[in-house]
Amino acid sequence: MSEQQWVPTVDDLRVKMCYICREEEHHDQPVEPPVAWVHPCNCTLVAHESCLLSWIQSSQQDASRAPNALKCPQCGTIYELESYNPRTLRFLNKLNSVVSMAGKVVTVAGVSCVIASFGFGVYIILTSYGAYAVQEFLGKEFFDLVLTEDPSNWPWHAFINLPLVPVSLIISRTPLFEGFPLVPLFLAWTTSPPVQTTERLMTARWRRAMTSGADTPWGPLINWPPSPLMVTFLYPFVTKLYRRYFRRFQHWVMGTEPSTGTTVRRYVWALNDDRNLQVQVDVNALPAREEGQQQQGRPQGNEEQQEVDPNGEEQEAELPQDPAAVAERTIRVTSASLGRFVGGALLIPKISNWMGAILFRLSKYSPLLRRFLAIRPPRTGAPEVFGKWFDSQPWSQMSVARQLGVGVHMALSVVGGGTKTFAECDPVWWRNSVGLGIFVLAKDCVNLLHLYLTKREIETRRVKSRSFEGVDIKELDLLNPPQNPAALPLPTVA
Amino acid sequence: MAVSSRRLQKELTEIKTAGTPCGITLLKADDFQTWFLSLEVLGESQYKGEVFALMFRFDPQYPISAPAVQFVVDDKYKAPLHPHVYSNGHICASILGGEWSPVLSVIAVCITLQSMLASCKEKKRPPDNDRYVAHAPDNPKKTRFVYHESDSAAAP
Repeated sequence: MSEQQWVPTVDDLRVKMCYICREEEHHDQPVEPPVAWVHPCNCTLVAHESCLLSWIQSSQQDASRAPNALKCPQCGTIYELESYNPRTLRFLNKLNSVVSMAGKVVTVAGVSCVIASFGFGVYIILTSYGAYAVQEFLGKEFFDLVLTEDPSNWPWHAFINLPLVPVSLIISRTPLFEGFPLVPLFLAWTTSPPVQTTERLMTARWRRAMTSGADTPWGPLINWPPSPLMVTFLYPFVTKLYRRYFRRFQHWVMGTEPSTGTTVRRYVWALNDDRNLQVQVDVNALPAREEGQQQQGRPQGNEEQQEVDPNGEEQEAELPQDPAAVAERTIRVTSASLGRFVGGALLIPKISNWMGAILFRLSKYSPLLRRFLAIRPPRTGAPEVFGKWFDSQPWSQMSVARQLGVGVHMALSVVGGGTKTFAECDPVWWRNSVGLGIFVLAKDCVNLLHLYLTKREIETRRVKSRSFEGVDIKELDLLNPPQNPAALPLPTVA
Repeated sequence: MAVSSRRLQKELTEIKTAGTPCGITLLKADDFQTWFLSLEVLGESQYKGEVFALMFRFDPQYPISAPAVQFVVDDKYKAPLHPHVYSNGHICASILGGEWSPVLSVIAVCITLQSMLASCKEKKRPPDNDRYVAHAPDNPKKTRFVYHESDSAAAP
């Protein structure tokens, strides 16, 4: 194609028709005032410049049409726009997009702040409850040693452990989980050194100057009461044994046979007690074995629930009114039972504390009980600090074998006897644990008694028989009708 | 006179002088707000013998803004049973949304919809018909349709 070859432009058309507004303009009849025409692409479409610009502008404002805003609808050529687009405008555009980006960030940050502060509030509540539980369960003395009222003294793990306490208490009541509800109380605190308040650090320094003997910060290998760590390890076995024998006892009392099938437990969430709002969750959804017996061979979860609930969690399931429903183990989670469930879980530390206090009172009258509970007077003097022992003992000078031996001894005695902090404290936790155990046993027995009495009430039901006093005797078809009806007394009108 | 009226006047004149394509008839165009056209698929198709009516609603920005187009559903007309046509007459077609261009016209839309019906293989409603119809706005332009190759889905 030579450069000389003539190429027509939009101005050379005889009739121009705007593809947008469909107005025509004949070259011999120009409109006044003149309107600008463009041919923006590679096909035959032409348009008024103003029409095309308003089309482009409106398309660019619509997200779904924006990709096609600068595209010819017929040949697909991309329109080229020329405009006065100085650096200032480009900068301002950029600035605008940055600012709107910042706006989005602020929105997201604001929303997350709201969520975070809500979450933080929940965290504070959980943590405070955890601290309360430690104080109730492990005793004030121990609490002051390893935690104190001032959160700034708390060891770092307190901020993880304490909020976990209420959560684990509640979870441990569900049949899905099994374990010592106070595990987070024990696992962390038994090995925890006393918090180093300024006052204590000063006394420790003073004492170090005074005493030269380097006694170890852990307790003796064998100790009474057993260390909390030991109790935590033994707890599952003890509960399993207890449940097995208590269930046997229960079957013996109730005269039922233990079943071996997996029970289906159905939860019916009816918080408003509204049938429409029920959500059903089937756990262990195996076909139910249908027997009319109640209370047989359930997984321990149920007993675990009963353990801490003085009123019994599911009374309706205990009564053999509807065998199918009983076999299904329908637990209606009403708003009342949910509150009882959560409340009961959170009451565990308080209940243990009460029971411990009762045991403590009783121990005043029995030296044997006092020895069993290992009641000690409150400790005097500052608690030992691990660091001190490591300072004074020339650890680095020991042989490897000796280091190993000391390490094993240290670990064993922490498991067996606990740390010195724990061992020298009045073992409030021990009498609280024993108290909780007694409480559980008592509650199970009360439950069983309730069950047994209910069963006996149902079994011994008789309907009292009455005479035909007040009935007209002539209406009765009697075996030996009286010879002289007139001699009988007249029926009295009731 | 607004741009839309001038443009529609042109289209109307064109229809009256050149006529409409086969199967398309202008039913009513008394003003420049609402037009009705009837639509029929000629030849062999799933819709043989069925006649549908289309309602066009124009706003003053037409043709910069697309017309609102839907099938008439009343005593006389029904919406065609088609995977892109909801039972309330709303149509999921890209040319009525993001693909609209001023180069199109009322007749061009009719022809596109006619060929959409003609190429239909299976007479059925969109999969989300019930959900959409229950919440659909009166004006189909307020629906943001998501265009797929085969199925359509609407987000009112």
